[in-house]
Parts: sequence; C-alpha cells; structure tokens
Amino acid sequence: MAEARTVHLVQTAVAMGLIEEQVSLCYQCGTCTGACPVAAAGGMDYTPRAIMRMIQAGLEEEVLSSQTIWTCASCYLCTVRCPRGIQITEVMTQLRNLALAKGYKARKGQVYNQGFIDIVRRHGRMYEPELVVRYHLLTNPLNFIGLAPVGLKMIAKRKLRLLPDHPPGRPEIRRLFERLKESERRKEQGE
Amino acid sequence: MKYAYFPGCSQESTAEEYNRSLRAVARRLGTMELEPIPDWNCCGATPAATVHPLLLYALAARNLAIAEEMGLDVVAPCAACYKNMNKASHALNDDPELLDRVNATLNGHRLRHAPKVRHPLDVVVHDVGLDNVPVSRPLRGLKVASYYGCLITRPEGGFDDPERPQSMDRLMEALGAEPVDWPYKTRCCGGAIYMTTEEISFRMSADILAYAKAAGANVVAVGCPFCQLLLDLYQDRLEALKNMTFNLPVLFFTQLMGLAMGLDRSELGLEKLVVSPFALLAETIDRPGEEMPKKSRPPAPKLKRWGEAEQ
Ligand code: SF4
Ligand code: SF4
Repeated sequence: MAEARTVHLVQTAVAMGLIEEQVSLCYQCGTCTGACPVAAAGGMDYTPRAIMRMIQAGLEEEVLSSQTIWTCASCYLCTVRCPRGIQITEVMTQLRNLALAKGYKARKGQVYNQGFIDIVRRHGRMYEPELVVRYHLLTNPLNFIGLAPVGLKMIAKRKLRLLPDHPPGRPEIRRLFERLKESERRKEQGE
Repeated sequence: MKYAYFPGCSQESTAEEYNRSLRAVARRLGTMELEPIPDWNCCGATPAATVHPLLLYALAARNLAIAEEMGLDVVAPCAACYKNMNKASHALNDDPELLDRVNATLNGHRLRHAPKVRHPLDVVVHDVGLDNVPVSRPLRGLKVASYYGCLITRPEGGFDDPERPQSMDRLMEALGAEPVDWPYKTRCCGGAIYMTTEEISFRMSADILAYAKAAGANVVAVGCPFCQLLLDLYQDRLEALKNMTFNLPVLFFTQLMGLAMGLDRSELGLEKLVVSPFALLAETIDRPGEEMPKKSRPPAPKLKRWGEAEQ
C-alpha cells in the first residue's frame, strides 16, 4: 500500500505541493469524517472527507475559506484511522497556513492563535488572563458578561495567575522570534 | 531515574494541582526524580504551528537544548506540551536541515541531539513499574473512567495504543480502583477550540461525560490540563446541555496515585477541583472498616493488554 510521506515541516511555498501529494492518495472512504468529533458536534461546514475531495477537484477558494480548517481541533483521530495513511491533521494545519499566506480573511481561530503567540513572544510563557481579555476584546466584547461566573469560580479556586511569569530567558525568546522573522524575510527575497 | 521536568504554563495556574500532586508522588516513589528545567519557555501549544512553520520546533528546541545540557530525558505532564515537544524531538533528530535552521534561531543554547520526551503516565507505568507503586490505601469503591484524551496516545505520542489504550486502566487497577470499560477514552474534549467555538467543544465534552456515566464510573481520571478544565470547571454547563446530572469528580491520575499511596492530602490539591470529590471519598476509600460490604460487586474482569492474545 502506498504510504503517505511523513510531513515534518512546511514552507508556505511548498505547502500546496505537499498537501496535494498527500491528498492524491485519498479514496473517499469517509473514515476520517466518521472519526471526527468536531464534525459530529456540528462544528464544520465541510467534513474532512469533503475537504479532501475538494482539494482533489482543485476548489482552492472554497477550501481555504472554509470554517472546517479553523475548527479542526488537531486531535489526530482521523490520522490514526485513515486507511491510506494520510496525515489529515497535518493537512488541516497546512491549509490554515496557506489560507493566511494567501490573504484569506482570518477567522476567529487566528485571532486566538496570534494573541496566544504574541503573549509567548513577550513573556516567554502563557498568561491566560491577558489572552482571554485580548481575544474577547478583538472578537466580541459582549462575551465578557458570560465570562463572569466562570472567572469568579476560577478566582475562588485560585486557578488564575494574577501576574505573568517572568522567566529570565525572555530576551532570548524575543530574539528567537526576531530571527524567525528575519529568516522568513530572507526566504521571500529568494535566498 | 532522573528526568528533566518541564512543567508547562498550565501547571502554575489552571492545573496547579497536577504539578503539586505529580511532584509529591514522584518524591514518594523515589525512582522518578524530577529536576526542573531552569528558565523553560512555553511550547506554543496548538497556535504555534499556524503562526510560523518553524515556531513550534524553535520553541521546543530551546527547552530540549537546556535538557540536553542537563543530560536528561524530558518529562512533560501537559498533553499539549508533551505532544509538541515529542513531535519536535523526533523531527529534529530525523532532519538535520531542520535542526540547523532551528539552531540558527536559538541564542545562548545549541541543540545537538534532542533528548526523549516522556509523559509521566508512561514513566510511571514503564519505568517505575506498577509493582513498585506503594499502595497503602487502596481505592476501593472508585469506578474510574480512564480518560486519556486525544494527544497522549496519538501518533506524535505513542507509548500506548491510540484507539484502545490500557496504561491508565492498569495503573488504576494497581491502585485498587475498578477501571470501567468505555468507548470514549481517547475522544477529543475540544480543548484546542474552546476559546473560539465554545459550544462545539462543550458538545464534545458533554458526550465524554455522558459515556463515562453510562459505563458506571463515579470518577474520571485524566492526564491533561485542558481535559480537566473542560470536564470539571464547566461540568454544570455540560450537564445543562445534556439535561443530565453527572456529578463526576475529574481528578488527575497523579491525585489518585497520591490518595492510594496515602500521601498528605494537602499535597494533592483536591480542594481545587470544582466538582468536589470529598463526598465520594467519604463513601469509598475513607469509609471506616477494613472491608467493603460483602455484597459488593464481583471483582472487575482483568483488562487485556493491547495486543495480548485471547485466553
Ligand atoms: S480516511 Fe483517508 S482515505 Fe478515507 S476519506 Fe478520509 S482521507 Fe480519504
Ligand atoms: S484532527 Fe481535526 S479533522 Fe481530524 S478528527 Fe480531529 S478535529 Fe477532525
């Protein structure tokens, strides 16, 4: 049986090629959709199987603007069960990257992702209260009302850190982010 | 054995009791020494892969490089940290070009060969050994739904079967509890998407508790801070969604170990659980008298190890 190649790393430029190579193995059995807990809970506009077919059919715009690629919870059950050995979870991640690179409208998922990573960049570690506040400010500030009961419960149980952790390696982490950015820029200039 | 301990961000906030109980258990075991990784950084969780393709590897590599300097394998209790760093460890050792590119982003550290990354459940079951867990207060009467969650047994993990794992069930058995057989052991709780699509992740989590309840469990054991948060903190919302009463305390497997090992309960953080376990404990393991009532159920059938032949 043809085994899909293990994908460790994707550069945006080659992402589509790798996705197509993986997806060309799909024979539409639907095992991934049957396994997917998000699809079962009604959280996807296209099932994972449908996404595979759409990629085969070249429906790039529909795929990259779908809700599915942003609500995939990266749980890997589809990948475990796919009889063709396709790394579906990895494909979903790459589709998100591709959608961003091609300028598709960022979904809520990306507001969250960016917010999360920005905190890591500045503090070196996660600081949950800041993430929650920032995310809801940028998406729907009315959500704060609904958050109050849970927030109070968390405070009562001392489940929230009141101040961010400040590990001494913070400058190192910021450099790391800068260097990633630099390498990206160099790649774009075709080095 | 000694391990480089990577607590992860949640271990100092939402899942502080996981950290506390794990370290207390490790101290008592004596054979699982946890040396904290100084100055560790966040693993990037699920968002990292979508912000920059190298970021997950770079964040992991810095931690792995420090662990390499310590000369130790890494233990990461959070399922997301475990999965990210384990994935990175394999990828960085398999792909020298990736290693070079990632090393170029590090400053002050350099990774040569990435150490192994382990989940504490793996270490307890396979390194310490179930026979070496000293049980002084068997967890009689606890019917445990072992909930592995999605990440610790999946391809990026891999110390147990991804569909029908057994390690936590065997541990619960060794602690004197009764593991229940149920179908949602590795079903995802939706933790990665609950900030963005709350109602979907609640539906996913509610199903998990409904199945645990239907299988006759009176407690759920977990090894992931996100699973614990969703199933415990939001249990009232999940009950409302299903129109059911769960009343299922959700404990980290290390808290259950600590109870069975007779550790000082202040070291286990039981008071931090939103669904309180104290009534259940009073009826079961804390019940005075040596024996459970005679008419209690017959002993649970022994669970098969994955891949073990039918007898
Ligand atoms: S399980 Fe694999 S082969 Fe089957 S539909 Fe999904 S991706 Fe295609
Ligand atoms: S990884 Fe994503 S697509 Fe696959 S089963 Fe999980 S949620 Fe569904």
